[in-house]
Amino acid sequence: MKSAQFLRVVLGAYIVLFFAYLFGPLILMSITAFNSSEFPRVTPWDCFSTDWFNVLVEDKRIMTGLRNSIIIGFGVVCLSVPIGLAAAMMLTQVGRRMKSFFYTVVVSPILVPGVVLGISTLIFWDRLGTMFDASYNSVFYNGIFLSILGQSTFVSAYCMLVFTARLQRFDPVQEEAALDLGATNAQAFVKILLPFLKPAIGSAAVMAFLASFENYNTTIFTIVSESTLTTVLASKVRFGINPSISALAVIIVVLTLICAIIHEAMKRQEARRAQAAKDERVVADYASVGRFATSPWGIVLLVFLAGLGTIWLATRYDTASCKMRLQDERQLRLEQSTPSTPAVTPGAATPGTTTPSTTTPTTTPSGSEPAAKPYQGIFAPQNLDQVAPKDEGEAAPAGEGKSDGESKPYQGIFAPQNLDNVAPKSD
Amino acid sequence: MALTAWFQHFFKKNGIVLSIYLMSAVLLWMVIMIILPQVFMLDFSFRFNLPPGKIGGEEDVYTISNYRFLLFGSPGNPDPYNVIDTTVFFRTILAAIFVTVFDLLLCYPIAYALAIVAKGGTARLMVLSLIVPFWINEILRAFAFRILFGSSGVINTVGMTLGLWDTPFDFIKADIALYAGLGYAYILLMIFPIYNAMESLDRNQLEAARDLGAQWWRIHWRIVIPFSKPGIASGCTMVFMLSAGALAAPQILGGPSSLWFTQIIYQWFNTGGNWPRGSAYAIVLLAVCILFVLFMMRVFKVRIGEIGR
Repeated sequence: MKSAQFLRVVLGAYIVLFFAYLFGPLILMSITAFNSSEFPRVTPWDCFSTDWFNVLVEDKRIMTGLRNSIIIGFGVVCLSVPIGLAAAMMLTQVGRRMKSFFYTVVVSPILVPGVVLGISTLIFWDRLGTMFDASYNSVFYNGIFLSILGQSTFVSAYCMLVFTARLQRFDPVQEEAALDLGATNAQAFVKILLPFLKPAIGSAAVMAFLASFENYNTTIFTIVSESTLTTVLASKVRFGINPSISALAVIIVVLTLICAIIHEAMKRQEARRAQAAKDERVVADYASVGRFATSPWGIVLLVFLAGLGTIWLATRYDTASCKMRLQDERQLRLEQSTPSTPAVTPGAATPGTTTPSTTTPTTTPSGSEPAAKPYQGIFAPQNLDQVAPKDEGEAAPAGEGKSDGESKPYQGIFAPQNLDNVAPKSD
Repeated sequence: MALTAWFQHFFKKNGIVLSIYLMSAVLLWMVIMIILPQVFMLDFSFRFNLPPGKIGGEEDVYTISNYRFLLFGSPGNPDPYNVIDTTVFFRTILAAIFVTVFDLLLCYPIAYALAIVAKGGTARLMVLSLIVPFWINEILRAFAFRILFGSSGVINTVGMTLGLWDTPFDFIKADIALYAGLGYAYILLMIFPIYNAMESLDRNQLEAARDLGAQWWRIHWRIVIPFSKPGIASGCTMVFMLSAGALAAPQILGGPSSLWFTQIIYQWFNTGGNWPRGSAYAIVLLAVCILFVLFMMRVFKVRIGEIGR
């Protein structure tokens, strides 16, 4: 008995750890959106700031990408939901032999790597275009059109699976009854089958849109010269990152959470209603405030109010003065550390003396950190601490940093955190 | 003969309008969107890289030079085979296997908890919180890992504050960030097939085993795992295929010295400007992945039919 309890505790602890792995990165990323530091990070914390949201909204490339993503998303929904529905219905009507072949072919796009789907779509339309001698402005080379087709290839399979699951619970007697009573096939389809499938159509459409919206592997090939939100994000993340991407993540996380809460609340309400109908008695009208708070719209309202509250707090918080203070502190430390730490002097003190105004020393170096990745470790504060007490030979890299302070790999040397950490040592 | 009879039956059952809709939608999907593009890609991979004007001309003949290049490199290559590309290829496959095993170990307990242990509301809440992170863009998820594992990232800061290590450890160069990010990306695809298979397990079997004094690991080894084998197989298949074909995570989280095979394919299409060679590489990747999956299914005695459950 004891061991069973012990196992439960272990499993519980594992689940907690697992969800920490699942949510931890997302939470940390969201936090970095509110740090004024140029590089997305949680520690050291500079100032609370909502500036990155402004940077995000003013970014033209992201906004164009977003627009294209939404267009493609709608295109994919319009194409893959009808295809998925038709395929699911077809699956119920073909013979056994045919069925397994058909199923293998249409499910394969889920397993085939997205890269391959993108490439094959691109090549197919490119070759068709060459065959028809089409111009480069024609539909054969249109990134949005190709992306809709390429993504629909596998999104349709998702939709089909959703419809197949729902169709398994369909009672064909209903349709037969309608046909016996003189309805045409089309009428029976529209009046009986479609209403039955309505929830599945809804969830298939949502899923199709989300799958299209977040797709990268297929889109990167089919998009040709256009861009979607995902491809813009990818190129931004690859070539230098700043917290405006975190700000976008915050928006998406919040939207996702709202959708999830609404979904859950609606399910609960449905279940409650079903229960009430079953019991055939009026559910006690418990405190109406509590009821509103757990209804979907109540929750949306609460979330909305919380958002407004955050924005209000943000406007009251003076980021600019905090930044100023931070800068002053840094300069103070810089001045203190200049005369007394010999190991730091060659590299770190130079910018302080040459640019006494220190207009942007807090920002520029850390902004270029990603480029400097491979060598960044060299000038981390701990290294300096270790190097300082030793002989001059060990400290040689610092001297090198001075000679070509312009070159990228050594830019980390000017990172303000180095100074922060070194300063106390000097006392 | 049987086919025409089937068509007659089909049209009679569905009526003209509905039949046309079903037929055209399914044909559009199967033929124009799935089969023909794959066939064209296969065809294209056997051709020379020609400028648009020469396509369809005299020089447009079949060749296996693109496949030969993957194996042996350019003619002037001093090595007996194309060291860079083949190394990257095998490393990608190995890494994908590693990610698959990692995900299986990670997700099995969760699927078990979800299917057997958790009840009602808890289970539903768990499912919801499993799904929510996956509505967030793939790129943003990889970006989150980059923040987490960067040299001034949270893990380095915490580790150094606790005194576990004293210089910032380069997780990105060591590919740890990549594995963590890839594993993260396909958690759902591993959990749900296993969960689906496990859910139909008769709890009495577990009770009986327990009453007969079986240890917990023995119950898993002899009952739960064999029963959920089809789910495990389809989860592993999906995770393996998708991580071998992943592009976003390796581009963002991959170290400077470690390429993923899809990145080479991407280079042929993008900067390399040699589409036929890129398609040949893609075909090789696809074929090897499929063969590997079939081989593993043979080894573990799982039939393909069981996977679709």
